[in-house]
Amino acid sequence: MSRASATMLPLAALAAVLAAAPFVLPHLGASLDVLQRVLDIGLLGLGFDLLFGVAGLLSFGQAAFFGTGGFVAAYLLVNDVIGSVWLALAIGTVAAGLFGLVVGWLAVRRIGIYFAMITLAFSQMAYFLEFSPLSAYTGGENGLPGVPVPWFGPIKISTGFPMYWLLAVVFFVGFVLARRILHSPFGLVLRAIKENTARAGMVGHSVPAYKLAVFVIAALYAGLAGGLLGIFQSYMPPDAFGFDTSGDLIVQTIIGGVGTLIGPLVGATIWLWLRDNLQLIPAVGSLWKLILGVIFVVLVIALRRGVVGEIRHLLTRRRKAVSEAGLPEEPAGDVAAAPVPLPLAAPMIAAESGAPALEARGICKHYGGLRAVDGVSFTIRTGSIHAVIGPNGAGKSTLFKMLADEVVPTSGEVLLFGRRITGLGATRSAQLGIGKSNQLNQLFLDMTVRENLRVAALARSQGTFRPDVLRAADSIAAVERQIAATMETLGLSHRAEVPVHVLPYGEKRRLEIGLALATGPNVLLLDEPLAGMSPAERTATRALIREIGRSRTLLIVEHDMDAVFELAERITVLYEGRLLADGAPEQIQASEAVQTAYLGGLRAHEPA
Amino acid sequence: MSLLEVERINSFYGDSHILFDVSLEVGKNEVVALLGRNGAGKTTTLRTIMGVLAPRGGRIRLDGREIQGLPPYEIARMGLQLVPEERAIFGQLTVEENLRLAALTAEKAWSLDRIYEFFPRLQERRRSRGRQLSGGEQQMLAIARALIRDAQIILLDEPFEGLAPLIVRDLVRVSRELAAQGRTILVVEQNVVAALSFSDRVYVVNNGHVVWQGTPAALEADPALMKTHLGV
Amino acid sequence: MPSASLLISQAFNGLALGMLLALVSSGLTIILGTLGVLNLAHGALFMVGAYAIYVVAGYTGSFVVGVLAGTVLMLVLGTLLERGLIRWFYDRPPEDQLLVTFGAGIVIVEAVRAIFGPQSQHVDVPAWGQGAVQLGFLIYPTYRLELIGIVAVLLLGLYLILYRTSIGLVVRAGIEDARMVGILGINVRRAFLLVFAIGVAAAGLSGMLYAPIVAVTPDLGETFLVESFVVVVIGGLGSYPGAVLGGIIAGEIISITSAFSPAYSGVMLYAVMALLLVLRPQGLFGSEGRV
Repeated sequence: MSRASATMLPLAALAAVLAAAPFVLPHLGASLDVLQRVLDIGLLGLGFDLLFGVAGLLSFGQAAFFGTGGFVAAYLLVNDVIGSVWLALAIGTVAAGLFGLVVGWLAVRRIGIYFAMITLAFSQMAYFLEFSPLSAYTGGENGLPGVPVPWFGPIKISTGFPMYWLLAVVFFVGFVLARRILHSPFGLVLRAIKENTARAGMVGHSVPAYKLAVFVIAALYAGLAGGLLGIFQSYMPPDAFGFDTSGDLIVQTIIGGVGTLIGPLVGATIWLWLRDNLQLIPAVGSLWKLILGVIFVVLVIALRRGVVGEIRHLLTRRRKAVSEAGLPEEPAGDVAAAPVPLPLAAPMIAAESGAPALEARGICKHYGGLRAVDGVSFTIRTGSIHAVIGPNGAGKSTLFKMLADEVVPTSGEVLLFGRRITGLGATRSAQLGIGKSNQLNQLFLDMTVRENLRVAALARSQGTFRPDVLRAADSIAAVERQIAATMETLGLSHRAEVPVHVLPYGEKRRLEIGLALATGPNVLLLDEPLAGMSPAERTATRALIREIGRSRTLLIVEHDMDAVFELAERITVLYEGRLLADGAPEQIQASEAVQTAYLGGLRAHEPA
Repeated sequence: MSLLEVERINSFYGDSHILFDVSLEVGKNEVVALLGRNGAGKTTTLRTIMGVLAPRGGRIRLDGREIQGLPPYEIARMGLQLVPEERAIFGQLTVEENLRLAALTAEKAWSLDRIYEFFPRLQERRRSRGRQLSGGEQQMLAIARALIRDAQIILLDEPFEGLAPLIVRDLVRVSRELAAQGRTILVVEQNVVAALSFSDRVYVVNNGHVVWQGTPAALEADPALMKTHLGV
Repeated sequence: MPSASLLISQAFNGLALGMLLALVSSGLTIILGTLGVLNLAHGALFMVGAYAIYVVAGYTGSFVVGVLAGTVLMLVLGTLLERGLIRWFYDRPPEDQLLVTFGAGIVIVEAVRAIFGPQSQHVDVPAWGQGAVQLGFLIYPTYRLELIGIVAVLLLGLYLILYRTSIGLVVRAGIEDARMVGILGINVRRAFLLVFAIGVAAAGLSGMLYAPIVAVTPDLGETFLVESFVVVVIGGLGSYPGAVLGGIIAGEIISITSAFSPAYSGVMLYAVMALLLVLRPQGLFGSEGRV
C-alpha cells in the first residue's frame, strides 16, 4: 500500500473506533466511566510504551509522574492558585517532566535490574511523600476533592459525553505524536538502543541522552494523564502514586501488546472490562484479579507479544514468508567491481595524504600488576592501510580498544589529526571521525539492512543527540544518499529491505564493516574483519577492504597473515604489550625477532 | 582405539564458522600439542570437546563413548578436564576453597596434601584469595584443580600465555612431570618452542582447518612450514 | 528533639526491623547473585510466611511448630516456583525474568486474598515472648528483643551454610562464574534450585517472625519488597555481608528518622539510596562491573 495510506489507515481506524465506542461499548458492559478510565490509562501507556516497548527500559515507577502531574494540577485548581484548568494541566505536566528528569538522570545510567529497582524505589518515595510530609498540599490519605472541570470557551466540559470527547481527543493527539516519535530519527535510535545498546553508542549516539529524553517524554505523558484523572473524576486520589498504578499499567501493556503504542489502551480495555464483568459472575466474584494475574503470567511465558502484537505478527508473517522465500542469490563476481566514491565527511582538521591520522604516544594500560600494553607509540598515516599483528596476549585488543576510545589508557595519549582524543569515549570519537567494526558482529538484527545503515549514518548528521521527533526517519536526503552509496560499496543493495538476522554470515560481516563505514569516518578500525570466514568469503572481503582503503585510513588487526601481507602498507608488531617492530611488510617478514616472538619467546628458555 | 577421538567437528560462535571439519586423536598417555596462531580455532576446539560449545556436525568420543552435545559437568565427571585460557580462578574464594570445590564431584579425588606436594607454592598461599595470586600462581592453581579431580585427560588452553619466562620454565617442568606420570594431555599453545619441548605429537591449525600433523622433530625440521602456519 | 529513651527504644526497634530486613534481603541477594534473577515475588513470599504461621500456630497453638512447618512449606513452595516457572527463564532477557516474577507475585498475593479474605489477621505473640523487659531506664517488649536474637541465629545459620558447607562453596563460586563451576563437574542448575528455595525460606521465615507484631494482610509484603531492593542496592548486588549490614542500616534509618519526624521515616531511606547511587553505585560490598 502507498506510504500515505499506510500512515493514515491506522489513524482513521482509531478515530472511527474512538467515535463509535461511547455508543457501542456501554451495551457490551463498558460504561462511559470505564471508557474514560481506559483512555486515561491509554495516555499514560503511550509514554510507557515508548519507554519500554520501543527503548526497552522497563520502569516500575510511572506512578511517580502520574501522581505528580495529577496532584500539582489539582492543588493549583482546588486552592484557586490558577484559574484556567488548561494552564494547571500544563503546569502539572511540566512538573512531572521535571521530576522525570531527576529520577531519569539517576536511573538511565544503570541497566535492567538496577533501572527497575530505582524507578520502583522513587515511586514508593513519592507515595510516602504524598501521604505524610506533604499532606498539607496533597490531602494525605484523603486526596484532593473538588477538582473543577475545564471550559472550552463557553462550553463546559461536564462529566459524561463532553468529558469523554475531551479525553478521546487528547488521546488521539497523543497517539499521533507518539507515532511520529516512533517513526522519527529519534525513534529509530531508541529502537537501536533496545536492540544493541553498545553498538548504538559506538556509532556515535549518546545513549544516556536518548534514554533520558524518552524517560522524560514518558513522564510528561504520565503527568498529563494524572492531571486529567483529577479532572474527570473531580477528585485526585492518593493511590495515583500507589504501586498498583505502575504495576497494573505493566500488566495491561503486556496484555495489549508491547511496542504497539495502542497496546496499553487495548490492554486496559480488556483488563477493566474483565474486572467489571468477572465480578458479576457469582462463582468468580473477587477472584477476578487472581484470574487476570494468571493470564498475565501465561502471556509472559507463551504469548509475549500480547493481543495487538500477535495480530500484527500474523499479518506481517505472511508477507515476510513471501519475501524471504524469494531471497535472491548473491550476484557472482567481484563484490567491489565498480568503485563508488563515498561521501567523505570532512575531517576536523584538513589532512594531506601522509600526514599522521591516528597516533599513539606512549600509551599504557595496566591492570593491577599486569601490563597489558606498555608504552606503545606508532603513527598511522592518512590514506594508508596499517596492520597490527602479534601473538596471543600481545595486547592487540587492548591497544585497539584504546585507539577506539573504549578503554581509557593508564597513561599516554591518542591523537587524531594532531588533536588529543584520549579518554573522550567511543561515542565522541565516532563523532570526530573514527569508525570501528568488531570481531563479533554487533548488528541490529531485527532491523533491515537499510535501517541498520541509517542508524549509523544518522549519528554523523544528528550529532551525539538531537531530539528530532517530528520528521520521518528516512526524510533526510543526505543520510539516504550516504546509505545508498554504502550499500553499493558493500554489494548489499539487493538486500536493502531484508531483516539482518536472515542474512548469511559473510554478508552480516560485510554489514558489520558497513555500519562503521556509514558513519562517514576518516579513520576506520577493523577488528579481525575476516574472522570466521570461509576462503571464498575472505577473498570477497579482502577486495572490499582494499576498495575502502582507497578513500580512507585503515587500521586492521588480523591473524590471517595472507590477508595482512596482501593489504597492509605498514605493519606494527606487538609482543607482550610492547612494540616489537614497525615497518614495511618486507621488513617484518625478514625480521628474526618477529619470527622468534611468534614461535616461542624472545628470551629463549632452555628445555628444562 | 584412541582415548579421545575428534571426528570432523564444525563449531560456530553464533553463525560465525570457526572450525571446519576438524579431526584429531589423542592416545592414552600421549601428550598432543595443538598449535596455531591465535584466531586459528585452537581454543574453540578445546571448548567444543569440553561441551562448553556444542558442535554442529561431527563426533567426539571419549574411551569409545560419544560425548558431543553433553553438558560440561557430565563430561567432567567422565574424566575430561579443561584448564581454560583465562584460568577462571574464583577470586573471592581461597586457594584451598578453589581446590575443595574442584574435588567435590571427583570419584578418586587427590588429597589436599598430595596436591601441595606437587605444588608447594600453593601450600604457602593456601589461605590467600584467588584474586591475590600472581599470574603464575593462578595458572598453577588452575592446573591443580584439574589434578585434584584425577582427570584422565587434561585439556590445557595456552598455559604459558602472559607469563614471565622463568614461570614458563617452571610450568613446562610441571607439564613434563604430569606427562611422565602417564597422564594424557592435549595442550593448545601459541608458544611453539615451549609446547614442542614436552609433546609427543603435534597438530597445526590454521583458519579453522587442521593443516598438518606429525612429530615435533618433523615440525622443527621444516622451518618453511613453521613460518607459513605459525610464524609471520 | 526526641527524648533519650525514645531514641534508644527506636534504636532497638530499628535493630529488630533491620534484622528482619537483613534476612529477607539475604534471600533476595543470593538469588540475584547466583541465578541472576531479581525475584519480584519476594515480598509475596514474605507474606506467605506470615500467613503460614497464622494457620499453623492458630491450629496447633505452638509458635515453634508453626515456624518449623512454615519453613518446610516455604522450601516446598520455592522448589515448585523454581522448577515450574523460573527455570524456563534463565536464558530469556532480564525484562522477561522481571515480568514473570512480578506476575508470580501478583498471583500469590491474590490467591492468599482469595483464600483468607482481605481483612487483617492476628497472630498471638508466643508465650515465651510476652511481656516486657527492663533495660536500664527503658522498658522494651520481650518478643522484639527475642526477635533480634532469633534472626541473628538464623543469619548465622545462613552464614554457616554459605561459608562452611559444600553447597555454600558452590553458591559462592556460582555467583562469580557459574560456567566454570559446571566445567569442574558440578550441576549448577541443581544448585540454583537449592539457592532459590533457601532464598524463599529466608523471606518466609522473616514473615513468620514479623507476624506477631503486625496486622497480617495480603499486601503485607509490598513495602518489604521495595525496602529489600534498597537494602540490596546499599549492600551490593549478590553480597551476603552487604545484605546483612545494609539491612541493619536500613532498619536504623527508618526507625531513628521516625523518632524525629514520623512523616519522613518512609522517605529517608530512599533519599539515602539516591545519594548512594550517585556516590558509590556498587554499594558497600558490590563489585563495580555488575552495575
